This record gives sequence, C-alpha cells and structure tokens, in this order.
Amino acid sequence: MSLPESMSRIVIVGAKSHIDEAIEAIFDEGAIHLIDHTVGADEDLSLGTPRPYSSKASERLLKVRAMEKGLGIAKNDKTQVLSEEEVKSQISSDSVELVEAEITAVFDKRNDLNQRITELNATKRNLELLSDIPIDIELYSGYRSIFSTVGTIVEDPTAALSGVDCEIFSSFDKKKSNVIAVFAKVADKDKVQSVLSEHGFSEISVPNEAGSAASALTRTDREIEAAQTEQENVSKELESLLEKHRNFLSASDEQLSIEVQKGEIPVRIANSEYTFVIDAWVPTAKVDAVKADVESKVEGVYVEVQETRGRKMKESEEAEQRFKDAPTKFNNGVVVKEFEYPTKLVSVPKYQEIDPSILIAIFLPLFFGLMVGDVGYAIPFIILGAYGLKVTHHKDWRAIATVLFFGGIWAFIFGFFFFGECLGMHFVSSHHMLGVEYSWQALLGLENLPAIFDGILYGGSGVGKLFHVGLLLKLSVYIGIVHLMIGYFCALYNKHIQYGFVHAFKEKGGWIFGFIGLVLVCYGLAMVLIYSSTYSFGDVLPFIAIGAVLIVIEIVMNIKHEGIQAVLELPGIVGNILSYTRLAAIGMSKAGMALAFNYIALGMVAGVEISNGVVSNAAFNIMDIIGLLLFSFLHLMIWTLAILSAGLHGLRLQFVELMAKFFEGGGVEYTPLKIKRMKTTSNKTIKEV
Amino acid sequence: MAEGIGIGLIAIGAGLAVGLTGLGAGMAEKDVGAAAVGAITEDQSLFGKAMIFMVLPETIVIFGLVIAILGIFVMANTI
Repeated sequence: MSLPESMSRIVIVGAKSHIDEAIEAIFDEGAIHLIDHTVGADEDLSLGTPRPYSSKASERLLKVRAMEKGLGIAKNDKTQVLSEEEVKSQISSDSVELVEAEITAVFDKRNDLNQRITELNATKRNLELLSDIPIDIELYSGYRSIFSTVGTIVEDPTAALSGVDCEIFSSFDKKKSNVIAVFAKVADKDKVQSVLSEHGFSEISVPNEAGSAASALTRTDREIEAAQTEQENVSKELESLLEKHRNFLSASDEQLSIEVQKGEIPVRIANSEYTFVIDAWVPTAKVDAVKADVESKVEGVYVEVQETRGRKMKESEEAEQRFKDAPTKFNNGVVVKEFEYPTKLVSVPKYQEIDPSILIAIFLPLFFGLMVGDVGYAIPFIILGAYGLKVTHHKDWRAIATVLFFGGIWAFIFGFFFFGECLGMHFVSSHHMLGVEYSWQALLGLENLPAIFDGILYGGSGVGKLFHVGLLLKLSVYIGIVHLMIGYFCALYNKHIQYGFVHAFKEKGGWIFGFIGLVLVCYGLAMVLIYSSTYSFGDVLPFIAIGAVLIVIEIVMNIKHEGIQAVLELPGIVGNILSYTRLAAIGMSKAGMALAFNYIALGMVAGVEISNGVVSNAAFNIMDIIGLLLFSFLHLMIWTLAILSAGLHGLRLQFVELMAKFFEGGGVEYTPLKIKRMKTTSNKTIKEV
Repeated sequence: MAEGIGIGLIAIGAGLAVGLTGLGAGMAEKDVGAAAVGAITEDQSLFGKAMIFMVLPETIVIFGLVIAILGIFVMANTI
C-alpha cells in the first residue's frame, strides 16, 4: 500500500563558529525538514538571533522589491540568468544602492511632473470659466475698499443684490457652468456672500496671472503641453532604466531572498552560548547519506539519528509536542504524482495513513472514461490532455490535463470496445436503436462494419446508453460496491498500522460485515421487487438471511463505541452505493443530448437519411453547411459539458464516497530546506530529493 | 382497465421522482452556490473545494432517476 515515506528524526549539533557553513550544508542537502525549536523546550537553550548579514540583506531586499514594483517587474518575467558570484559581487559593491539612487531620481522627477500637470489642469479649468467674463485677471485683486469674488452659480442673484451697491459681471450659458463676478464695498461683504451662497455660489480661486483670461489660458495650455512632453521623456527614461537593470534586479531579488532565508535559520533553532542544536526530519532512506555529508562538509558538527518513526499512533502520542507529527512525504511514481493534487485539495494525508492518490489515479480516469464512453469525444480529450501535460507547469492546469489524458484513454477504450460509439452514434446499426437514431454504418454505407465489430462489441453493436439502462445501472452499482469495499479495507489497514489488528478489527471490521450484509439484503430485495415474475421470495431468502445475520454482527460489534450510529449509518451506506449510479446516469444524459443534436443537425443536411445514409444524388445547398456547423457546435457543447460533469462527478465519488471511508488527513507536508534558483545559477550542484 | 391505470400511475410516479428531486437539488444548490461564490470572492484558492460542494446535492436527482428507472422496470414487467 502507498504509505508516505518513512521518516527519521536527526539532531545536528555544532559549534556556533561554524554555523554559516552548517546552514549552507543543510540547504545543499535539500532533504532536511526543520523542526522549529519552541521556547522553554530546554532550559539551557534559547532561540538564536539572525546572522549579521541578514539585516543588511533584508534592507536591500526591501529596496529591490520597491524598485521592482515601481518599474513593474513581475516575478515570472523572463530575464537573463546571472551567475551567483556575479550577483553577489555586485550586491556587495553597493550596486543596489547605486541603482536605487539612479531610479529614485527619475521616480521623483516623474512624481513632480505628475503633480505639476494636475495643478496646471486645475488652473486651466478655472481660466476656462474666467474667460467668460470680460475682465483682465489682475483686475480681480489689489483694492483697498472694494472686495471681489468670482465663481460658479446656479441661479441669477442680480435681483437679490439690487439693494447692494455693487457691480456684477456674469455669463449664463446653459451648456457650460454659469459664472459670476461681483465687486462690492468691503462693508457689504457679508451681505453679498450670504446672498450668493443662497443662489448656489461656489467660489473659484483666481490664478496668479496677468492680462485677459483667454491669453492666460493659451499660456497654461502651452505649459501643460511642455510638461507632458517632459513626462513622456521621463517615461522613456524609466523604460531604458527598466531594460538596463531588469536582470540585475530580478537576480538580486532572488539572491537576497536566499540570503535572508539562510540568515534567519538561527531564529528557528536552539542555541546556547557556544553551540547550536538543530532538530530535523529526514527521509529514512537518506539519513545515512545526510549524516555523512554534513559531518564531512562542516568541521565541528555532529549528526545523531534520534529515531525512525513507526506508524503506530502510540509512538507519536508519546513524543514531545514538537516531535509529535512526522511530516508526510508523498511516495509516488511519475504518473500517480500528478494525482496528488486532488488529495491535497482535501488535505495532506497523515504520516500514519494510506495516501489515497494511487486510488484516485486508478479510479478517477476510469470513472471519467465510463461516463464519457465515446470515441469521438475521447480523442480530443487525449490530445488536449497530452498537450496540457507537455506545455503547462501550473499545478491546477496540470491536474486537469492529467485527468483529461488518462480519462480520455479510458473513454476511448470504453467507447470503442464497450459502447461502440462515436459522437453519439453507434458504429453498427441494431434492432434496438430508436427510430430517430443515426449509426455510422447506415450514414456512411459501410456494410463491412458489423463484421469487424462482431465479437468485440456486446450484442454485435455495443451497449446502448439509452437502451441497456438496466445493465448499466447494475454495472455501476457493482463498481460502487467494489470501490466502497476498497475504502473499507483501507480503513481497516490504516487502523491496523496505527493501533494493531485487534483494535482495527474491533473498530472497522464491523462495518465490513455490515456493508457485505447490506449488499446481500438489498440484492435479495431488489430481485424480488423488480423481477417478481421470475424470482419468488424463497429464491432470495438465503441472501437476505445471511445479510441480516451480518448486519446483526455489525450492530453488535459497533453499538458499544458508535452507539445508535451503528444502526443509523446503514441507510447511508445504501445511499453511497446508489450514488454510483451517476456513472450510468451521466452517460445517459450525454447520450440523450447527442441523440437529439444529431437528429436536429443531420436532419438539416439534405441527402442524409436515417436508414439509407448519404444519398448521392441530393443537391448540395446552404442548409447542408448550416447543418454541419450546427453539428460541430452542438457536439463541442456536449464535449465541454463532459469535462465538467464527468470530471466533477468522478472526483466527487473519490472524495465523498471513497475517501470518507478511511481518509483522515491533517498531516504536515514535508518541506525540506532547499534553494530553488530561477534567475541565478550556482556552480554548486544541488541534489534533488 | 385497472391495470392500465396502475401503469399510468407508475409512469406519473417516475416523472414525479425525477422532477421533484430535481427541484430539491436545485434548492440545495442555490444555497451552496451562493455560499461558494462568496467564499471564492474571499479566497480564489477555494475554487476546487467550492466546485465539489456545488455538485454534492446532485446526488438527490440521481436517486430520483434510479427510482424512476426502477419504476419503469416494474411497469415493463407488468405489461
């Protein structure tokens, strides 16, 4: 069975004077999963402080990230790969600071310009309003006994101001805002202002200009234009800076991140005055190599293997809190590895339980294929899946592509050898086909098809998704029984490795009896109820009797620790089994759609008859093209729906029906310390775990 | 005559089984869907889980369909 890889706990002890080399060696190993030290775990040990180089590196990293953000360099942008030494030497010769000074100067210039353009635009708006009033700008100010105010207004206040000694200039224009300028004695200021505000007045500030508003407006326009030209130049300058420093910034981001990561290791481990102690998990298979490697590379460091963690729960329960959970390292081959994604979607398996990825890898594509079951849809699935697996590295897309590829292969197998179908049409005509159903044999006039498929396909023409419904329902229920049985046995196995067989049998054995009993009882009852003319109650009595006995055993075994659940759970199991009938139901729904679409689309093509196929003497017309286009479009629709319905329902059967039987999850994923370089290269060879 | 009515009732029952369970599943999915969209807005990475929860209630329709098909089998055996 596929259990996570066995783990051993090691402790690395060394003199603090060699800590940098030790950190380097640990990262080079790429197999060491650090256990964080907890304060108070040991009286004489405490958490350490970051390495001296770390704070400078973080400071520089902050600068680099700010520059990257400002210049718009994204993490996944393609850049030239630089060597580690080159980047390091550039960083240590203060290149980060120099680049920062250069870029900040341009950033400042850009900000100043942006601000200036905003200000000029505001002035421009005011001048546009003022240009409606025939007064030079300098005349608005510079009086001792008169005050002036100018702004936009909603209603005309002339009548209200008639009692006040003042001069009013206004421009009322329906399309633009109404502008008004009022000159009055300083003594009347309050009165004028209150009248104006009643009429919806909003003052505008008079720009510091001279001459007519129109000429000032032209000047401002010229200034804006000049500022914009300058802004363009600055943008170009920034672009050239981006080109110039892109590689260095990306590479130094990576290099500095690595340095910070390494520099902060002491904060996660135990330190005394002169020594450091690192607790870590290492895959058991690697433990000797790691010990030999680290000890030989670093002077004054000693590695000791503390334990190899077994699968018994007792072992982890007895361990100290921080050593309780061994990390889960998936132990799968190339193909099954692609199916770890759906497992992780639920949870990371515990160290002490079966990793369900392998079961998903077997059953998910199988179920998908059974639900699609059509050669015509299978081939595009295989092509798309293979292309996806070749091109994409994004884990979500890879997971989908994997299901499409392997599911497509199963769909082809089922479509060809079981259903004998392509694009919703059977290869071979048969008596059970509905009156509106096309077949490739009739459509293309291939009279030798029955001879080819005879002996391959069920009944000579394959299983009809809409005709052999009973057969498909039974088949899917049987598949469900097998699938669930595997789930129950996995549960038994999990408990067996965790607590021993006796405990496992007491806890999970009852359910296996109950499950088998229930299957037998339901089989007996279904026979009597559905085929009442063929079977009598006496025929199925043995099934029901044995089943009932098994159910009673289940209840007796489980009632103690499960309580009333031992009985209440039973209908749920029937529900679980019936849930697998979706395998047949989804195939049916797709076949139904395909049947209707073929009837509509091919019916439009002249010269195609259901029983006679293509009639050669029919004239070709525009309806043929429409019919064929419709045919392609409608089948594309079914095909897309197939991804959703078959994929999701296939996955659901794994998650809800199968994994709920045994999977607990909640494990800690194995994340060894290692350096992943994308933008820089190191001349050290890094081992892959 | 009475047999004919019986067969008709089975057919109606089969129709009701699919139709009503469809309604039920729809009502359940309405709530799940609304919550799923809310959750995905908060956190894009929940899309996978939300999608799975979305299809959970569809089991109800499948039960309905099974019952309908069984009913039709019984009907076919009676004729």
